[in-house]
Amino acid sequence: MKQQAILCCITDDSLCPVLQAEKALCGGASMIQLRNKSASGTDLYSWAKRIQELCRAHDATCIINDRLDIALAVDADGVHLGQNDLPAEAARKLLGSKRILGISVASVDEAKKAVASGADYLGLGHIFPTVSKHKSSEPIGLERIVEVTKTISIPVIAIGGITEDSVCAVLRAGASGIAVISSVAHAPDPENAAASLTQKIQACRQ
Amino acid sequence: MKPVKKTLPRLYVVSNCRELSSPEIQLPELVSRITSHLPVIIQLREKHLSAKALYELTLKVKARKPDSASLLSINERFDISLATNSDGVHLPENSCPLARVRSATPDLLIGKSTHSLKEAVTAESDGADYLFFGPVFETPLKKRYGPPMGLDKLETVCRNVSIPVYAIGGITPQNTNNCLKHGAYGVAAMSFFTSTQNLARTLDNFHSSLDR
Repeated sequence: MKQQAILCCITDDSLCPVLQAEKALCGGASMIQLRNKSASGTDLYSWAKRIQELCRAHDATCIINDRLDIALAVDADGVHLGQNDLPAEAARKLLGSKRILGISVASVDEAKKAVASGADYLGLGHIFPTVSKHKSSEPIGLERIVEVTKTISIPVIAIGGITEDSVCAVLRAGASGIAVISSVAHAPDPENAAASLTQKIQACRQ
Repeated sequence: MKPVKKTLPRLYVVSNCRELSSPEIQLPELVSRITSHLPVIIQLREKHLSAKALYELTLKVKARKPDSASLLSINERFDISLATNSDGVHLPENSCPLARVRSATPDLLIGKSTHSLKEAVTAESDGADYLFFGPVFETPLKKRYGPPMGLDKLETVCRNVSIPVYAIGGITPQNTNNCLKHGAYGVAAMSFFTSTQNLARTLDNFHSSLDR
């Protein structure tokens, strides 16, 4: 993974994933995660293939959420798995050492377990209240980023309600990057929204 | 090293856990009873389950399947087949492209659901090991595929491909032999295998129709 802080844009179910990826990449996103829980294998494959091509053209990373089968079929850069997806150990074996494995965690214990299972990065959240996903749990807050990043050494991508105003605080807490859904996907100008976040990330890193 | 593919059983059972009250207990039990009675292909088709739940269910089913001539296949998710060391994957109509699945998993047994001669021929050339063709007969489960295809279309498909074709849709022990006479390699059924009641007799009835 690159040294520069990561901006991961996750696709929203309600909009065309390829178009979302294209705009996010033009705005400077360094990682795209194709996430759609209800699409058919045919649709997921064709979107994933196109997004993987776009990511290669933009020197960005293409990650598929949950569907390791699709990731292998398109030879994507990696997969991102939640706690209800294929167990991380099993996924690691199928991915080999070159493909990327990201795991969603919310606590220090989950983070340690994911690292032991072979994760390459963690998605940690949700940090702040968020509109993108219906959450039953409370936001975990900035302090959890500090705890997790002190404990483990792989990159942590923070997710959940992160905006331009909170990017710097999130990165200062120890995160290697941020992941967003609606703040880019549903922005009036998604490319511009991604570009603003990219600039903000670079500015607060200096 | 590519393992030699086993001989395909002629009876194919598709799981339907929605009809079971506690599938994680009942399904492994059903599979155990069926596979100890005669060799079958079992397909786990549980689209409502999370990948984690499907992975765990597959391991439970596998633990109860005797190391016999029976095979275990997973609907669509070939990653779960690989992770659980199952025998195969079955691709529904709107799946990830078969040719891509074949190149990603050269050693898995790959089946494909087809509903026309054209789809069947394409699936064979894309690398399928066997096909489903149907619905052959009237079935409430497959209404969305339109009216039944009938035995003549089944025969046309079977004549035009060289891989095994399983007839599916409205299959009973009574019409099974007719499917074989029209070229089917075997039959696939779902609704007969949702309870252990009369299971042995149902299996015997299928077995004698397939053996005739």
